[in-house]
Amino acid sequence: MPKILVVDDEPHIRYLLELTLEELEEEGVEVITADNGQAALEIIRDEEPALVFLDVMMPKMSGFDVCNAVKNELELGDVYIVLLTAKGQEFDKQRGQEVGADLYMTKPFNPDDVLAKAREVLKR
Amino acid sequence: MNSITLGKVLKRRPFSPLVTRLVTTLATPLVIEEADGTLLLATEGERAVTCYPVTVQGELIGRVYGDEKASLLASLLSYHAEIELERKHLGNETLHKYREITLLYETADKIPFCMEPREIASFLLEQLRQVITFTSATVLLQDKETGLLEVLLAEGNEYRPGARLEPEGIMGAVWASGKGEIVNDAATDPRFVNRPTTVSSLMCAPLHSKESRIGIVMLTSATQRVYLAEDLKLFTTLASQAAVQMENAALYLQLKAAFYTMVYTLAETIEKRDPYTGNHTKRVMEYSLALGRTLNLSDEQLQRLELAAVLHDIGKIGVRDDILLKQSKLTEDEFQQIMRHPVFGEEIISRIPQLSDIIPGVKHHHERFDGRGYPDGLSGAQIDITARIIAVADSFDAMTTDRPYRKGFPFEEAFEELRKNAGTQFDPEIVEAFFASDVMDAYFTANARLA
Repeated sequence: MPKILVVDDEPHIRYLLELTLEELEEEGVEVITADNGQAALEIIRDEEPALVFLDVMMPKMSGFDVCNAVKNELELGDVYIVLLTAKGQEFDKQRGQEVGADLYMTKPFNPDDVLAKAREVLKR
Repeated sequence: MNSITLGKVLKRRPFSPLVTRLVTTLATPLVIEEADGTLLLATEGERAVTCYPVTVQGELIGRVYGDEKASLLASLLSYHAEIELERKHLGNETLHKYREITLLYETADKIPFCMEPREIASFLLEQLRQVITFTSATVLLQDKETGLLEVLLAEGNEYRPGARLEPEGIMGAVWASGKGEIVNDAATDPRFVNRPTTVSSLMCAPLHSKESRIGIVMLTSATQRVYLAEDLKLFTTLASQAAVQMENAALYLQLKAAFYTMVYTLAETIEKRDPYTGNHTKRVMEYSLALGRTLNLSDEQLQRLELAAVLHDIGKIGVRDDILLKQSKLTEDEFQQIMRHPVFGEEIISRIPQLSDIIPGVKHHHERFDGRGYPDGLSGAQIDITARIIAVADSFDAMTTDRPYRKGFPFEEAFEELRKNAGTQFDPEIVEAFFASDVMDAYFTANARLA
């Protein structure tokens, strides 16, 4: 069963992403959540989700650090990582590239785009 | 989206461990099942027969079997499911807002790149479709002369672009008041005018730009829908953005047209001084564009080429009449004076910042491919492509038209001259393009237009 991991320290963002992805759950996709980078990293290592929506600005371990650990240290290149950044906040695209992120989206996100992306990635 | 299942409610953290603890503490046989009978949780022991329903807004979503303690659990689950449902409603509403916000951001980002009214209208409908459900849409602009509303774009209905309508019915009312309207049951509205396309519900918003109203947009649904005030608000906001862009685009196009007129007028001043050249400028421009298109220049390059070709001889304005208009052979010194015109041209044009990118085309149209031209002695690719093209077009026209002191060459001789000088005076690729292009068509078109 394919898995999607949602990582954000803000509960309402996690909930809204879960809600957006709800119709995939009905199709057999498991949606897991984590509220910090450390927990996210453990889940990714143990469960190898197909797709991760990863907040960049989180206390302790940032989304960049998590992404870097997954792509460059654990070498889990197949895990598709979407970085989530707040609209208006300067996003360091070069940094995103260095840590190997596959895509970045801004918050508030367009639920249609999130769902379409998830479907696309899961189809692979 | 009222769907909520007890299984989901039970799975959600931190509620799920809480329920587990509660069940352990109650220490009594319990069974929790989904409304459809799917087992969700069962403790050890004999299954009780008493059943307590778990409901949300009066609807059964599951059952708890057990003694009277189970009734407490059923109530708690009902209460929590109710909260969960509310949360879901709020969440979905927030997601809808997210959809709207991202749409507004996207519109603000992309709409400035639309320059044609139709393109703007079609972009508006595309954006609206993402948040509002409708089966037909019409964008109308007022025709200033007749006061009628002219169809600019229509989708899913019988209107044809260009058709002019009296502002009547609901459309007329919105046009007159300038305020958007929702009509959810069109059949009962006395203003409703029946037309071939079925309309059950509709929304209509004005296209407002700054102070004036320039048109309206109508969205209709063939099946009954309930459009909400917030739908109309978003619709109106997007429609005004489109209206403002339509006005900006119109101003831009006007400004551009005025600029081109100025450039052409400037070029004409020099033609007027030397009437013998008789429309030389216009022909050079036509030939140049024909060559540019054959050489697959980009739109931006073609635009530069057009302006440079039109202004290529503007510097002749700085050459004295007695030399410029002299009918006999020029002395060496007089020829030196004539040869300064590309630099004079540069000096004049450099005062107009919007024309700075055509300077190479004007200044270097007398450079030669082999480097023996003037004023800078550039060669090959050092010479801007527009200048290399104008050089060929200019020479061809000079050869084929009559001058006070000589008749023009026949075409065949001029063709021969171009071939002979390819690689020395002219860029061979451009000479090749000359014979592959519709330059001769351009010649006849130019002459037919001037006749």
